[in-house]
Amino acid sequence: MSQVLTTPPAVGAPRPWRFPEAVTTRTSVGTPVHVFDRPGQYVATVRVTIAMPLIAEPRELEGVATIMSRTLDEGTELHSANEFAAALERHGAAYGVDVSSDALHVEISVPVSHLAPAVALLAEAITRPAFNQADVGRHVTIRLGEINQERANAGYRAREAFASHLFDSSTRRSRPTAGTPDTIRPLTNVEVADFYRRNIGPERAEILFAGDATGVDAAAIIDEAFGNWTSTAGTALETPEPIYIPGNRVVLVNRPGSVQSQLLIGCAGPDRRDPGWGSAAVANHVVGGTITSRVDTVLREEKGYTYGTRTSFAAPRKGGTFSLGGAVRTEVTGAAIGDALRILREARDGLTEQEVQEAKDSLIRTAPLRYEQADSVAQQVGSNIANGVPVDFADTYLSQIAATTAAEATDAYRRYVGTDGLLVVVVGEAKDVRPQLEGLDLGDLIDLS
Amino acid sequence: MVAGMPLTYPIAEQTLDNGLRVVVSSDRAVPIVAVNLWYDVGSRHEPPGLTGFAHLFEHLMFQGSRNVASGQHFSLLETAGASLNASTFFDRTNYFESLPSGGLDLALWLEADRMGYLLDAVNQENLDNQRDVVKEEKRQSYDNRPYGDSYERLVRLAFPEGHPYAHMTIGSMADLDAASLEDVHAFFRKYYGPNNAVLTIVGDVSEDDAFDAAKRYFGHLPAIPTPPPAPDGTIGPMTDVQRDDVESDVPSDLITMMFRLPVDGTPELDAAGLALDILAAGQSGRLNRRLVRDEQIAQSVSGGALPLIGGVSFGTLTGIASDGVDLQKVEDALLEEIEKLATEGVSSEELATVQAQAERDWLEQLATCAGRADEISHYALLFGDPNRINTRIDQVQAVTVEQVQAAAAKWIRAAGRVQVSYRRQEAKSEMAETAGEQE
Repeated sequence: MSQVLTTPPAVGAPRPWRFPEAVTTRTSVGTPVHVFDRPGQYVATVRVTIAMPLIAEPRELEGVATIMSRTLDEGTELHSANEFAAALERHGAAYGVDVSSDALHVEISVPVSHLAPAVALLAEAITRPAFNQADVGRHVTIRLGEINQERANAGYRAREAFASHLFDSSTRRSRPTAGTPDTIRPLTNVEVADFYRRNIGPERAEILFAGDATGVDAAAIIDEAFGNWTSTAGTALETPEPIYIPGNRVVLVNRPGSVQSQLLIGCAGPDRRDPGWGSAAVANHVVGGTITSRVDTVLREEKGYTYGTRTSFAAPRKGGTFSLGGAVRTEVTGAAIGDALRILREARDGLTEQEVQEAKDSLIRTAPLRYEQADSVAQQVGSNIANGVPVDFADTYLSQIAATTAAEATDAYRRYVGTDGLLVVVVGEAKDVRPQLEGLDLGDLIDLS
Repeated sequence: MVAGMPLTYPIAEQTLDNGLRVVVSSDRAVPIVAVNLWYDVGSRHEPPGLTGFAHLFEHLMFQGSRNVASGQHFSLLETAGASLNASTFFDRTNYFESLPSGGLDLALWLEADRMGYLLDAVNQENLDNQRDVVKEEKRQSYDNRPYGDSYERLVRLAFPEGHPYAHMTIGSMADLDAASLEDVHAFFRKYYGPNNAVLTIVGDVSEDDAFDAAKRYFGHLPAIPTPPPAPDGTIGPMTDVQRDDVESDVPSDLITMMFRLPVDGTPELDAAGLALDILAAGQSGRLNRRLVRDEQIAQSVSGGALPLIGGVSFGTLTGIASDGVDLQKVEDALLEEIEKLATEGVSSEELATVQAQAERDWLEQLATCAGRADEISHYALLFGDPNRINTRIDQVQAVTVEQVQAAAAKWIRAAGRVQVSYRRQEAKSEMAETAGEQE
């Protein structure tokens, strides 16, 4: 009965899918609370997203937001750092913070059966931190060590050079989110506590729950913990528009001993305010968003230059970027850059109907997978809030994609990629790479070796 | 502590006539389905001279097969909305995709075509190309990052030459270079067949439909001759200390210790793993409290057990020294804590904490169809019992403080370890002074 089928079986139409709906309430002091009931998700995420544009940091103390964020759980008015960690972990909870250019996210993942005590501890860290100098000083030292690790990491070095050469120095994003040695060293608990007082409060926050809420009143548990949060911090400053540096140029960062060159090639891109945001994602998928896209078909599958590269349009609240990143063998660095630029520029001539349809299918049909886990719902919604778009922005994004034609995808791409030049960053063995860059028509060479 | 809820994920099993074990776990709450195959071939099966072969196939399996053109495996699945990949480990190789449930037949057809007819498409050209890609993977993942070769160094010391766990999955580039097309074909014929694999289907499909589909696409594939088992790696705890001291251009001084541990699937391994967690897991672990928070001699500490099936497992502890602190201090403190745990044991509070953390980790692992499918394949292939996903938490909770101390006393000892240390090449006296001034 079993016949060998020599052509692919048909794929059935996917069930309609929408981003999970929230029940939204407010705490007693007015902080919005969004509850996403996800049956079967026994580990819940509770995420507090607080508007915290990094322009609020004094220029000479950049990184203070990061040190403040990392020391929230290092002792509170009620518990020492060791006591706090022991109590939280005893409930099976994991705690984490993330600082982006627009917001602070503080979250716990915890089995739903331990939700209430874990949320109480989360609230304690956010609303009643102690900021002891011993703990702040330790985190300054740890951050300095982390900078050493970053400087040894080719991917990090490429991102740092990309930011500092794509953005004007008046734009905060031209410099590392977590600060540099000269801005980190002066920090004490005085500056950290001051930054906290000015910037963290219930008026800037939104609180998310995602998980199986069967038999659990998540909103009441959150209100119990956050309902008496008071602060003198009013509403947050609005992030200004970034200023980009246009033009073709190549930045060579020497990393002696490298056996590969880390590449990052890119330019300005749209953000979520742009109705072409979804079309840009479609174009990206065709050009370099996956292993079957135009770039890796050549660089990986035809030529074997790399383990893999990817392109992306990425954006915080205001002002996006386009970039192609990956590592290639040192000896073929020039050839790989040449191929990559040729493919990026040729894509401006037009993406085919078939390419665009396949990209749309992939992006739309993978949505249920992307948001299967409670934590991924909380991640997405937290980033939506930080980026200033509605909590269900995923539906808007997917409908933009569904409506995208091949011409619109090409247009969204052409508006950005290669229009005002491309910045090429190479991190590698400079003495071997430099001769390979000649004759590539990359614009000015900024040699940091 | 509140007892965790009992897990009741449904499990149904059938074995096809050709020996393919099929496990189905239906879950109609989500509109997606996960397909997951574990092949009983990993780096531990590779004989000398053929290291890196299991991993090489992880690449070749995406290069097309009899009815699938090169690149088509990815493009067909991506267009159907799939997330897909594969991975190679010491004990096995897995291939998997999750996608909207209307694509189940496509996923099974693609998996069956490459299980049965991969070699039609494996020629010198794509062998050469994927060998280049693997070399770039090795450069990216091992050679071009600080400490990237630490595990290679550690397993070489922790296990005797020729032991199944004495080499990493990426293998030797010299072995890959020396491989002929015929070597590669022979390796596939030896290990890739329905009777050397488990197929798991989880998600939006009924049990009956899932078994029918498995039979439809895999039923005609012939069984292969029973593959030779991997060499027996049974070996006891280390009885001496071996070091590999590296001077290199690293950002901070680092030490990693490795211990042999009991084989996977035993209460003794669970106990040893929990002992390492009590030392190294989370913010409240003993090493973080002492080395990072209190004495501030380390920037960070980490560690844990890596369960393995072939007669022995291993576990590690890692510390990165604070700037200006002699790495010897970190080593001494690690050894003191190791010996203290082995001789004085652990508190019930400490054990309950790491058990609660293990429970959350496990629930998170099962929170997606893909994660559940992978663990079902794991327990079906290596233990013959996929139902273990529902009882795993109970097993971990059953471990006692006495068992933790006994396992640690036997396996995690200062006198029975290997270690690799990385120290910066430059002179250190100057930095030590700088650090001293800050105090």
